[in-house]
Amino acid sequence: MTRAPLALALLAATALPTATLAAPAGYAPETGTVHGAPLPAPTDRPLVPPTATWDSFHGQLNAQKYAPLDQITAANAGQLQKAWEVHTGDVDDGSGGGTETVWSATPIFANDTLYLGTPFYRILALDPGTGRQKWAFDTKSELKPLTQPALKNRGVAYWQAAAPEPGASCQKIVYIGTMDARIFAVDADSGTPCAGFADNGVLDVNRWNTTNARWPLSVLQPPTVVGDHLIFGWAGKDWAYEQAPPGSVFSVDARTGRLEWTYDTLPAGIRDQTGTANVWAGMSVDEAHGLVYLPVSSPSPNYWGGNRTAALPTTTAVTALDLATGRMVWTRQLVHHDIWDYDINSAPTLVDIDVDGQTVPALIQATKMGFLFVLNRLTGEPVWPIEERPVPQGDVPGEVYSATQPFPTRPAPLLDQSAKPEVWWLADLVGFGECSRLFDSLSYEGMYSPPTTTGGGVLAYPDSSGGVQWGGVAVDPVSQTAVVNTSHIVQYLKLFDRETYDRVAGASGAENGYYPQEGAPYGMMLDVARNWLGMPCWKPPFGELVAIDMKTGAVKWRRPIGASQQYGFYMPESWGSPTIGGPAVTKGGVIFIGATIDSKVRAYDLGTGRELWSSIVEAPAVATPAVYDYKGREYVAFVAGGNPIIKDQVGDEVVAYALPQ
Amino acid sequence: MPSPTRSRRRGAIVLFAGAIGGCAVALYNYFVPLTGVTGSGGALLVIVSSALVAAAALVLPALAGRAGRVVLRTLAGLGILGTALAGLLLHEGWLVLAMAIALAGLAIDLAQSRAPARRGVAA
Repeated sequence: MTRAPLALALLAATALPTATLAAPAGYAPETGTVHGAPLPAPTDRPLVPPTATWDSFHGQLNAQKYAPLDQITAANAGQLQKAWEVHTGDVDDGSGGGTETVWSATPIFANDTLYLGTPFYRILALDPGTGRQKWAFDTKSELKPLTQPALKNRGVAYWQAAAPEPGASCQKIVYIGTMDARIFAVDADSGTPCAGFADNGVLDVNRWNTTNARWPLSVLQPPTVVGDHLIFGWAGKDWAYEQAPPGSVFSVDARTGRLEWTYDTLPAGIRDQTGTANVWAGMSVDEAHGLVYLPVSSPSPNYWGGNRTAALPTTTAVTALDLATGRMVWTRQLVHHDIWDYDINSAPTLVDIDVDGQTVPALIQATKMGFLFVLNRLTGEPVWPIEERPVPQGDVPGEVYSATQPFPTRPAPLLDQSAKPEVWWLADLVGFGECSRLFDSLSYEGMYSPPTTTGGGVLAYPDSSGGVQWGGVAVDPVSQTAVVNTSHIVQYLKLFDRETYDRVAGASGAENGYYPQEGAPYGMMLDVARNWLGMPCWKPPFGELVAIDMKTGAVKWRRPIGASQQYGFYMPESWGSPTIGGPAVTKGGVIFIGATIDSKVRAYDLGTGRELWSSIVEAPAVATPAVYDYKGREYVAFVAGGNPIIKDQVGDEVVAYALPQ
Repeated sequence: MPSPTRSRRRGAIVLFAGAIGGCAVALYNYFVPLTGVTGSGGALLVIVSSALVAAAALVLPALAGRAGRVVLRTLAGLGILGTALAGLLLHEGWLVLAMAIALAGLAIDLAQSRAPARRGVAA
């Protein structure tokens, strides 16, 4: 983003906002867990697969991102070598008039093959031991930024019949979604379309886009496959419209594409006046209890809620559905009346934990706010108390404010969102006081400080990119250690009434950090708090890796992760890096993660947090790695695709590492 | 026994060798994939700065005026130190080593430029 928004915001700064801890302003949040359909009858499916499994986006349906492999250990991880490397060719940095690519695919290992989706919406099937391409399938999808600013893909999904018929095609299927709202199904052995799936192998998801259909329902996150169900949400366009397509999740038959059920995240009476609360991130599944867990995002528009003044307890929430029927079993709202774009943005991680002498079937829901909500995954009730605490109230005409927000008491927040971040003296010095002046013009009384039209605006920390992003939490289920990477990013936000917005943002809108929220009475400006040189105005670290003992909720260790990099110059590693992409953990006591600005992939000691190994890849590896065993050799595979949220560098590299043979 | 002219040039030769070596390292890191700084502005900056130090090494022996030599040595020294610092931040260890050689060359050049003058005073 350019500096124009900052300059305009400073020019507009006339008075400090008047947010105070005030009485409720007419909005009654639905607190606690809301219960619905009865819990399905349990089966004996284990939560943790008995053998090494990495056949879905989060490795396993429980989203633990855990490999029970111990060939690579903390003692020998330093010897890791590149086993193979592939460049897909599906990359565009946008400089030639094309659309920039953002590639966050986690490779999946199934059918003795490594499957990948690319941001050009192709499926690649690779030999897991050599990277040799077995086949490729091109959806020939439109390569235009229909909903997202870049061409995005987070990979593919895999299904296989319980008893595959020998010689028959499409007994094993790979699926890829596209930005133009289609899901393609191809035979996992040959890459040929499965004609029996939907319309000759293609499911048009947009046929269900019937309310506020301003853009296609982009399927960028691979569907969740459980049994013979293919369950998926979709992604859209942020900050553009007041009314947008309302959130919905679909389950279709994995063989035929026939619709089984739909779950609408918003009640019927309000869908057309708001929208989204979509499920754009991954989901997790407790097969034994027949539940699929949805991270549900915030309603539209993101930074003003005057069009949705009733309690909407199923938004910015974690929700458990009966995966056979789609009926809601329970839901728990994690942000009331969300006007901060604090989407719940990662699949909850399912793990059984021993707390106070009892084994609790738990889930860990990471959030953009830096909270980890730990709930009983069967009931939605907190494992440790969650307190409703008063939060600041705002003064924007037409808006309503929730008087309280839920604060988990354990684990402690991953970052301190209670006090205004301190100005970093170095950035302030280089900026000749620019950062101090900016922070002085911004209000902040904790992360739930409401958006405002006054002063320079409000400081947003954590900002809408987190906290924690879609990589979520990895867990070693044996030691019950959770591992999560965080970002510490400060943005600032200001609302403008429509007339002022049109004047300061220009008729084109959505440029230079301005976003119209078209239809709402307020447009908005959002920018990162930086000085003229691009240095962050807030104190490092800018990102951390944290390990938590889930038996007690106590932090085992935390450390800055990676290094920030600007114009090629590396900053000290003690400053850390903002992160996108999640960790994977192994039985060998190793954490693998990319995620950092410096385009390095790393291994850490699960027990101590000590860095064991690193390697440079083509671009930031903004996806969770895959860990798999192939012919007796343990591999860790990364996709280095980049994301302009953290660095303007893209790549098309798939790289696998292993110990020397 | 080396001639005074060749002796004066020894420092410039070492300075040039360090600078041109640094320039080669910087070019490699800029153009070769997976160096960590490929195509970056910082890597481009040290290509230019090390090339300028190399150019200074070529000009230095031919410069007649004392004031001009002082100015050029000062600029070359700043260029070397700045490039070395940039090399540290770019994690280009070989560039830092090359700049250390260049700095040694500059020191030799400086020492040799002073040596005849001191002999002259003693005589």
